[in-house]
Amino acid sequence: MTEQIKKAPRPPDPNSGKYKLDYIANKVIKDAFEAKARGEKVGWCSSAFPKEIIETLGIPVVYPESHAVVVAARGGGQRMCEVAEAEGYSNDICAYARIAIAYATKVKDTPEQNIPLPDFLLCCSNICNTMINWYENLAKELNIPLIMLDIPINPDNEISDAQFAYVKGQLLAAIKQLEELTGKKWSDERFKEVLKMNKRVCQAFLEVTSLGKHVPSPYSGFELFNLMGPMMFARQKAETLDAIETCLKEYKENLAKGVSTFKAEEKYRIISEGIACWPWLRVTYNGLKNRGINMVTTIYAVAPGFLLYDDFDGMIRASCRVPMAINLQTSRDDRVKLIKGSNVDGMLVHVNRSCKVWSGFLYEMCRQVAEECNIPVAYFDGDQADPRVFSEAQYETRVQGLAEIMESRKGDVKA
Amino acid sequence: MSNTQELLSKFNSIATNPSKQKDAYLAAGEKIVLTAPVYTPEEIIHSMGLIPMGAWGGTLPLQKSREYFPAFICSIAQSILELGMNDAFKGASAIVIPPLCDCLRGLGQNWKYAVPTIPFIPMSYPQNRANEVGIAFCKAGYERVISDLEKATGARFDDTELAKSIQIYNEHNVVMREVDKVLATHPEISAAQRSSIFKSAFFIEKGEHTVLVKELLDVLKHISSADAKKIPVMTSGILCDAPDLLEIFDRVGLQIVADDVAAESRQYRTDAPGTTPALDALAEKFSRMDNCSVLFDADKKRADLIVETAKQRGARGVVIVLTKFCPPEEFDYVIIKKACNAAKLPHVMIEVDRQMTNYEQARTALETFRDVLQD
Repeated sequence: MTEQIKKAPRPPDPNSGKYKLDYIANKVIKDAFEAKARGEKVGWCSSAFPKEIIETLGIPVVYPESHAVVVAARGGGQRMCEVAEAEGYSNDICAYARIAIAYATKVKDTPEQNIPLPDFLLCCSNICNTMINWYENLAKELNIPLIMLDIPINPDNEISDAQFAYVKGQLLAAIKQLEELTGKKWSDERFKEVLKMNKRVCQAFLEVTSLGKHVPSPYSGFELFNLMGPMMFARQKAETLDAIETCLKEYKENLAKGVSTFKAEEKYRIISEGIACWPWLRVTYNGLKNRGINMVTTIYAVAPGFLLYDDFDGMIRASCRVPMAINLQTSRDDRVKLIKGSNVDGMLVHVNRSCKVWSGFLYEMCRQVAEECNIPVAYFDGDQADPRVFSEAQYETRVQGLAEIMESRKGDVKA
Repeated sequence: MSNTQELLSKFNSIATNPSKQKDAYLAAGEKIVLTAPVYTPEEIIHSMGLIPMGAWGGTLPLQKSREYFPAFICSIAQSILELGMNDAFKGASAIVIPPLCDCLRGLGQNWKYAVPTIPFIPMSYPQNRANEVGIAFCKAGYERVISDLEKATGARFDDTELAKSIQIYNEHNVVMREVDKVLATHPEISAAQRSSIFKSAFFIEKGEHTVLVKELLDVLKHISSADAKKIPVMTSGILCDAPDLLEIFDRVGLQIVADDVAAESRQYRTDAPGTTPALDALAEKFSRMDNCSVLFDADKKRADLIVETAKQRGARGVVIVLTKFCPPEEFDYVIIKKACNAAKLPHVMIEVDRQMTNYEQARTALETFRDVLQD
């Protein structure tokens, strides 16, 4: 019997972009734990709530969606979902919500990652209506205050004056509520600084995402997922700017050298649609890599870079324009723009059982995108955090089918 | 005066033949505007001389709608789209769809492409509704609906006419609340008959429905209630109108004495104030609405309301009729369950959807529940 000799993992380079990104992700949670220990109130916040408000006020918050991602990616998704299901939550409910409710109301300590329990909640409905139900239940079960920012889906292509006024009125009220709840004070000067940093980070991030247009791409698009966390919950911080700029530098160097972090020959380039299948991230990556398919862009990872503005009103407009708050036409046009700017050969769509809002008009949107861009589309079933929904065999078959169509379109099919 | 059975047959005929109702209105030269779940400003549609007609889906195989929806989207949204794609709504001038849940969001967007012959009119309601900005946003949503209705139908809006329609709707609310109470004292009325009284309201002009319900109330006054041999229960959910399910209630001896069903009593809990402008009054009405899974409420007062109502009506248990793939109801279920447990109010949950043809599991659950309540 041959003994396998495993290589010792290379120690992380503290000057690398990856190290810096991981550091930020951990620091947000560490800071929140420390704030809690000092007696400060810590919030749980939905990912699309305007962070500039929180950063300006200096309120410690953590993000249950992000926590659910870590739990799911590290193998705890099913265990946590089952805890929620035992309490009566249907397995049909968003798995992020099931994990968060299980953690907050029952488990409170997970081997994958811990976050401080909330003293209050900040919900924003611009992602989905499920977010409202999820945070309502947390508020009721934990008996803590819930500040709700409602941003309904915009049925039109432009943001109406009525929607703008509604959101602005709520935001001003939310700031007042947060001041009363935490004792922290709003500062216009601090807000300006926060916006400046936010803009610089978004610009650097967009530059990173734009590098995917090069053939071959200097990175595997799966690496954009590493940037997403800090972009979602720490894009107003100087260390995030440093981390994103470091990544940018590394990718530019790759480009200059003609190398990539994508560990295969880039035969095909695709856009992926939908939230990542976090419990099966390695499997979904390998299924592509083994066929020379590089996912070079996705609205899911790129969207945080769109949150770029100069003032309070701009922040409101951007919050009304996040991917899940817009209609089918605007959603389609966003994808078409990405595809046309990224030399994409095909589209791989995650039909995500957890996400009814994303799945609701997914088929029609993808049909229109495929027609407009003349690219093939393949679908696979999965879930953002519940591993039970995914079938590796189905995924392999669908990806293989997509690869074959992309190959045939290149005119290289052998008889 | 009609007798009870004649009236109940009339309600049943209307409830089970929406196409016939639609065709009759169209033949009479009326214009029909479809109204999707859960709330729409019917008063506006009515005031413009149009007939609002409920579109809450139906029991039918889902085929064409599968091109638009994955299987895990609620069957109400899917079957509404299926009916639209099958031309079941042919002749309707428009459909109003409020994006009050994630499935309804998808329905509205898909409708534009799947049923292009019937214009989609969105009605964006505020979730933060009981404040100045929420009321203003709600009013702007109504103005958008008015503008779209004018384009789709050629009808014109007039605030004075709206005030009249609000009166008609408020009166209808009153009689529906009244009939709900009175029916609780009439176990001889079957669950299916009770359902038809509520369901028919979606397919007939509200003033006409009020007349029918008043007639029923009048005849019921003169009938002494049969001996209460059935066990009184309360229902909760989005829908409880499947004939096979309703038959089980009667077969196993359960009487619905109150409900928290979105397609039933939830529609009639809140009146618009009689103030002017009437459009402001209608926005004020929405700001007062509550106790519903698709309306934001961090206190989840709905669960307490269910417990209170069940106790007031003498219900010995609550039957939660959970529509599959309906997250708002699925989240609320846990809170309702806990509230019932705390109040020592027995409850049972049965899952339903628009495609169910076999209710044997529900029958077993309801039989067992009856046995529990009898003990």
